[in-house]
Amino acid sequence: MRSWLIRRLFLLFPTLFGVITCVFLMIHLIPGDPVEIMLGETAVAADKELLRHQLGLDKPIATQYILYLGNLLKGDIGSSIHTQEPVFDEIISRWPATAELAVAALFFAILFSVPLGILSAAKKDSVVDRGSLFLSLFGIAMPNFWLGPLLIIVFSIWLGWFPVSGRGGFLSVILPAITLGTAMAAILLRLTRSSILEVADEDFIRAARARGQNEFLVYSKHALSNALLPVVTIVGLQLGALLSGAVITETIFSWPGIGRLMIESIEARDYPMVQGCMLSIATCYVVVNFLTDLLYASLDPRIRLNR
Amino acid sequence: MKFKKLLFLAVFIASCSPSKPIPPNTLVIGIESGPKLLDPRFATDAISSKITSLIYPGLFKRNKNLGLVPNLAASVELIDEKTYLIKLKEGVKFHNGKELTAMDVLYTYQSIISPDSKSPKRSALEKIDKIEINRKYSLTIKLKEPHAPFIANLTIGIIPAGSKELTKKPIGAGPFRFVSYKRGSMLALKKNENYFGGAPKLDGLIFKILPDETVRLLELKKGNVHLVSNPITPSVIPWLEKQASLKIEKEKGTNVSYIGFNMNDPVLKNLKVRKAIAHAVNRHAIAKHIMKNLVSETESLITPSNKYFNGKLKKLKYDPALSRKLLDEAGYPKKADGEPRFKLVYKTSKNPTRKKIAEIFGEQLRQVGIELEIKSFEWGTFFSDIKSGNFQLYSLTWVGIADPDIYHYIFHSKSVPPDGANRGHYKNYLVDQLLESGRREMDPRKRKIIYDEVQSIIAEDFPYVHLWLSVNVAAMSRQVKGFEIYPDESLDSLKRVTLEGGR
Repeated sequence: MRSWLIRRLFLLFPTLFGVITCVFLMIHLIPGDPVEIMLGETAVAADKELLRHQLGLDKPIATQYILYLGNLLKGDIGSSIHTQEPVFDEIISRWPATAELAVAALFFAILFSVPLGILSAAKKDSVVDRGSLFLSLFGIAMPNFWLGPLLIIVFSIWLGWFPVSGRGGFLSVILPAITLGTAMAAILLRLTRSSILEVADEDFIRAARARGQNEFLVYSKHALSNALLPVVTIVGLQLGALLSGAVITETIFSWPGIGRLMIESIEARDYPMVQGCMLSIATCYVVVNFLTDLLYASLDPRIRLNR
Repeated sequence: MKFKKLLFLAVFIASCSPSKPIPPNTLVIGIESGPKLLDPRFATDAISSKITSLIYPGLFKRNKNLGLVPNLAASVELIDEKTYLIKLKEGVKFHNGKELTAMDVLYTYQSIISPDSKSPKRSALEKIDKIEINRKYSLTIKLKEPHAPFIANLTIGIIPAGSKELTKKPIGAGPFRFVSYKRGSMLALKKNENYFGGAPKLDGLIFKILPDETVRLLELKKGNVHLVSNPITPSVIPWLEKQASLKIEKEKGTNVSYIGFNMNDPVLKNLKVRKAIAHAVNRHAIAKHIMKNLVSETESLITPSNKYFNGKLKKLKYDPALSRKLLDEAGYPKKADGEPRFKLVYKTSKNPTRKKIAEIFGEQLRQVGIELEIKSFEWGTFFSDIKSGNFQLYSLTWVGIADPDIYHYIFHSKSVPPDGANRGHYKNYLVDQLLESGRREMDPRKRKIIYDEVQSIIAEDFPYVHLWLSVNVAAMSRQVKGFEIYPDESLDSLKRVTLEGGR
């Protein structure tokens, strides 16, 4: 177990290294010039050259890459080209908002989908089941940028239950969380239903029923704990999708998170900031995947991690 | 059990961030993105410039007709063609209580000119030879050569002598002082009781960052935001006008949209072809149906309220018959089998309105037998193609044109990128001569004659098809009184605004 853990932890580094390299190349290769954006169109060529030199952007890309990696090893992810503020501080100040949104969306997705998934498996082919199929198709088909404003119009403008946008207090997170979590909820709903149906004919379920346990316990205790494995896998994998969806949701709801920061930085061609954002998102993604693997073992004792 | 703990954790995290109500007598303005910097020496993006000018006044400012009027300056005197004697208003205080003197002006300008300053505004002040302080409130600026547009650069905000980094703690002498800035969320200012022009009537301003336009307008409808100004998509104006709690104000702006031609292109270097394209474009229909009359057709880059505007330019008419005739004359006759006379590529950005307009241009040009292929790119890619001359036709907008010297930057044959924005490589010896003398001419009346001539030559030579002038729009709550829209979108009138009902 321990050797597996160490091996897995070491495997995180090549993954992150790959991400760093890809992002570095991509952001430097797409057209657009941070100096141009900073100085504006009317600046004279000599000033642009000077600033490019001061920012180290006149060096060959390979040199810039090696310098960046060197600084990274020293724990320095650089400063924003535009504001000169350390990238680390800016990212740290934005992560709590994104984490809050992602956790809330995850909770919404699970709270909504797992009970409904069990119910529609238990009442297969009933009205409830059909209704849940409709809901999940609806949820997966609806883009964030449409669902968000729709929720705002209904729940903030007409009903006045929630704030329109911005981050502040428990109520403000609800609409963004629903917007972000809907697609995931839709997937989890179908997945929970089919996993439960898969185990529904197993011997241990029949045994539980034979022992006279009521249907609720049969499903929520026996069936669910065995059906959870694929659900956990998807939750782990979907967290990446959740973070990328957060970019749009954060824009709609004026949520000051990492997704917004990244979009603003890409538009401004703020290389260090984009790299920092991507690095932090990739790290988060990789760590969540790692934790998902760990969780497997505790859910299903047959899985041994030292293989 | 575990689940309950996690649920509790989620609720706990979510309730950690407190929500604050709007303080009384504070105007909330919805903005698209936050200012990048709050230092007037470095701020160049639109929103940074608007906000910094509320915090840091300059020696001069532009009035509603884009004329330069003294702000911190009490008077300016032209000693000779190259020397300005500037007297400052006395007793002006910075937000930190220190008095504003000629020392501060000197420091501000020097820290911009200094070689290691990284300031994007250095080229604006590079004509300065030296600055001398005469007395506490008086200084002389000597230029290297006569340069008429120079005085327009003295609108840069003045900072206290010795200031280093100002974005985190801005200190100026303006009507509003800095309170706090939460990036990605909001910026708060409060009134400066000691403002030399009289304290503002509002207690404070909050700039709320709302990147999504729909949400920005919904917040306005809901009453959480009092004022939203440009950009407002034309198609939502009818909806805004129906809202009883809101009022809409409009005013001609300083942003001019145009179609640019590549004069090095074998087809487009022919004046008749350019003229044919200009007459084939129905600007009026687009202005009415797509832009909802939020634009006004123009033949010049200068806005009509500007004294340098040439009011005698001939209006460009939509005339497809003339266009076809010109194309025949240019040697591109109509083909029998419905084939186009020739094909052109038109580049534009991903902006939905621009793409829609591009498609309409395509259809209008097809009517006269020109096939237009439309290619739209993400902004950075698009703009870098335009600058490197990698285009046949493109459309863009010039923003904030105030001084006619902009023509030097756009149409002088030496202003080809990277030294200027003559992206279509337009060459006209007469225009070059006029633009150079316009720079040296200090007499405004003589300058006007020069630029009138420039405007009429450009309107006949068609390096551009001038499309339209923006109309600035502001949608605001009926509680807001006294807000004025400036052509350059300056927020100067905020110091006079009142909020009825106090909220």
